[in-house]
Amino acid sequence: MSIIETKNLTYTYPGGTKPSIKDVSIKIEKGEFVLITGPSGCGKTTLCRCFNALIPNFYQGELEGEVTVIGLKVAEHQIYEMAKHVGLVFQNPENQLFALSVEKDVAFGLENLGVPREEMRKRVDSALNLTGIYDLRERAPHELSGGQQQRVAIASVLAMQPEVIVLDEPTSFLDPLGAKRIFEVIYDLNRKLGVTVVLVEHRLDLTAKYANHIVIMDDGRIVLDGEPRKILSSEEARLIGVGIPKPTRLYQILQKDRVSLSNTIPLSSDEMATMLREVLKS
Amino acid sequence: MSVFDGLKFRRVYSPIHNLDPRIKFIYVCAIFTTAIIFLELIPLMILFLMQVPFVILAGVKREWLRSMRGATFLAAVIFLTNFIFSFISAGYIVTAFNLEHAVAMTLRFIVLVESFSVFFLTTSPDHLGLALEQTHIPYEFCFAFTTAVRFVPVLAEEAQTIMDAQKARGLELERGNFLKRIRNYIPILIPLIVSAIRRSLELAEAMESRAWGATESRTNLYVLKMHRGDLVLIVITVGILALAIYVRLFLGIPSMNDILGRFFEPQYF
Ligand SMILES: Nc1ncnc2c1ncn2[C@@H]1O[C@H](COP(=O)(O)OP(=O)(O)OP(=O)(O)O)[C@@H](O)[C@H]1O
Ligand SMILES: [Mg+2]
Repeated sequence: MSIIETKNLTYTYPGGTKPSIKDVSIKIEKGEFVLITGPSGCGKTTLCRCFNALIPNFYQGELEGEVTVIGLKVAEHQIYEMAKHVGLVFQNPENQLFALSVEKDVAFGLENLGVPREEMRKRVDSALNLTGIYDLRERAPHELSGGQQQRVAIASVLAMQPEVIVLDEPTSFLDPLGAKRIFEVIYDLNRKLGVTVVLVEHRLDLTAKYANHIVIMDDGRIVLDGEPRKILSSEEARLIGVGIPKPTRLYQILQKDRVSLSNTIPLSSDEMATMLREVLKS
Repeated sequence: MSVFDGLKFRRVYSPIHNLDPRIKFIYVCAIFTTAIIFLELIPLMILFLMQVPFVILAGVKREWLRSMRGATFLAAVIFLTNFIFSFISAGYIVTAFNLEHAVAMTLRFIVLVESFSVFFLTTSPDHLGLALEQTHIPYEFCFAFTTAVRFVPVLAEEAQTIMDAQKARGLELERGNFLKRIRNYIPILIPLIVSAIRRSLELAEAMESRAWGATESRTNLYVLKMHRGDLVLIVITVGILALAIYVRLFLGIPSMNDILGRFFEPQYF
C-alpha cells in the first residue's frame, strides 16, 4: 500500500473562482524521495497542505476527492493527529520557530503531544544530532543564520518521528551553499532513517540526483509523474519551463546531434563527468 | 539598528539569573510591601542599599544604573510635589522634617523602581515564560508572552526596513505640522500591518502542523527546580518581612533629623 495516495483531488480556496489543484491523483511509496516541481502558482503548496489536513481543517474551501496517508483518511482526522505522521517544513524559516531557544523549539511538537520528559529529551537530542545543530541548542533562533534556522525547523519536525516529511521550498531563503547542506541533511534522513521525503523545489540541478520519483505540476494538474531520468529528459518537462539540470540538458542536446554518451541520462555534473571520462578514455 | 538592540534579549548566567523567577518575584513583592509600610528615611535607605549586592552579584551594574537614571525625572517630580505641598501646609517655611519627608517619599519610589528593575534585568524572558507555564497559567498566555518576546525585535527590524524603503521613495516623515506628521506614518503602518498579518497566518499554520492543541496535559522539556540559592532567597525574604513587621509594630524609628541633631546641635539636650 502506498504511504500517501490522493484520488481525484480537487480543491478551491474559499472565495477562489477556480480550483488551485485539479483532479490530482498520485501515489507515493514508503521510503521514496519525491520531488515535486512546476511553475510558480501551479498548486504545489496547496497539495502539501492536503497531506496533513491543513486542508480542509485550517483552510476551509471546497475539497473533492480523497487523500489517504498511512491508511488514514486525512479528511476525517485533526491536524494534530496527522502531525504525528506527516511533518511539514515551510518556506520561511523565521515564521515557523516560536520559542526562545532552539531546544525548546525542537521540543514544541512533543510538548503539545504530551510526551514524557525523558522520552522528549532523547528525541530532541537525537533530532538535534541528525540535523547537525546540537551545538546550537541553547541559542535563540533569531541569532541563527537562515540555513541554521531551517535546520532547526527540520529538527523540530523530525523530533515528532513522522513517517513522512514534506518540505515546501525549504531553501528559497538560502544561499546555494546553505541550500546544498539542507538537501544533504534531507537526503541523509531519507537514506539512513528511511523517512519518506516529499520535497517541493525549483532547484533541480541540486536535488534531482537524490530523487527517485518526480512529479511535475502545471496549472493545478499533474502533468508528469515517474522516474526522474525519464521525466527530466522529456520534451514536455522542458516546455513547461521546469529548471532541467544542466547536465541532463547537455546530454539531451548531444543526443539530438547523435552524440550518444551512454544509456543512463545524467542528473548531476558528477554523473556527467564520469560519462565524459569514459567516452574520452575509449 | 542600535535603537532596537535593547529589545533583543541575551541569556546571561549568574547566581541571581539562575534563581527561580517565582521566588524572585515574591522577594520583589516583599521589598515592595516593606517600602510601602515605612515612611521613615532610614529603613528606606536600608532597603535601597540591600539591592546593591544583588545587582553586583548579577553583574548588571551598567543596565541597572541606566534604568535608575531613567527614573530620575519622575523621582524629581515626586520630590518637588511632596516638598512644595508640605512647604505650603507648614505655613511657607522649610523645615528639616519636611525635607526629610519629601526625601523619604522619593526614596520609596526609587526603591520600588529599583526592585522591579532588578527583577527584570536578572530574569531572562524564556525563564520567565517557563515560570509562567509552571504556575498553571493557561498555556495560551505563556505562549503569547514568549512569542511576543520572540517577534518584537523581528517586527521592529521590519518597521525599520519599511521606513527606509518608503523614505527611499521620497516619503518625508519629519515634514509638516503635528497632524500631518502622524499622517506621514500611514504608508509605514499599512505594509507593517499587512506583513504582520501574513506572518501570523504562517505562524498559525506552522503551529498547527506541530500538533498544537493535541492534548490538555501538555508536558515541558524543562522543569524549574529549587536550588540552594532559592532557599536562601526564601529565608532572606521571610526575614525581611518579619523584621519589617516587628520594627513597625514594636519599635520606634528615629528620624534622620534626630540622629543628625544629636551630633550637631547639642543644645537640644
Ligand atoms: N491561502 C490562499 N487563499 C486563496 N488562494 C490561495 C491561497 N494560497 C494559494 N492560493 C492560490 O492557489 C494557487 C496555487 O498556489 P500555491 O501556493 O499552491 O502555488 P505554488 O505552486 O506553491 O507556488 P509557488 O511556487 O509560488 O510557491 C494560486 O493561484 C494561488 O493564488
Ligand atoms: Mg508554494
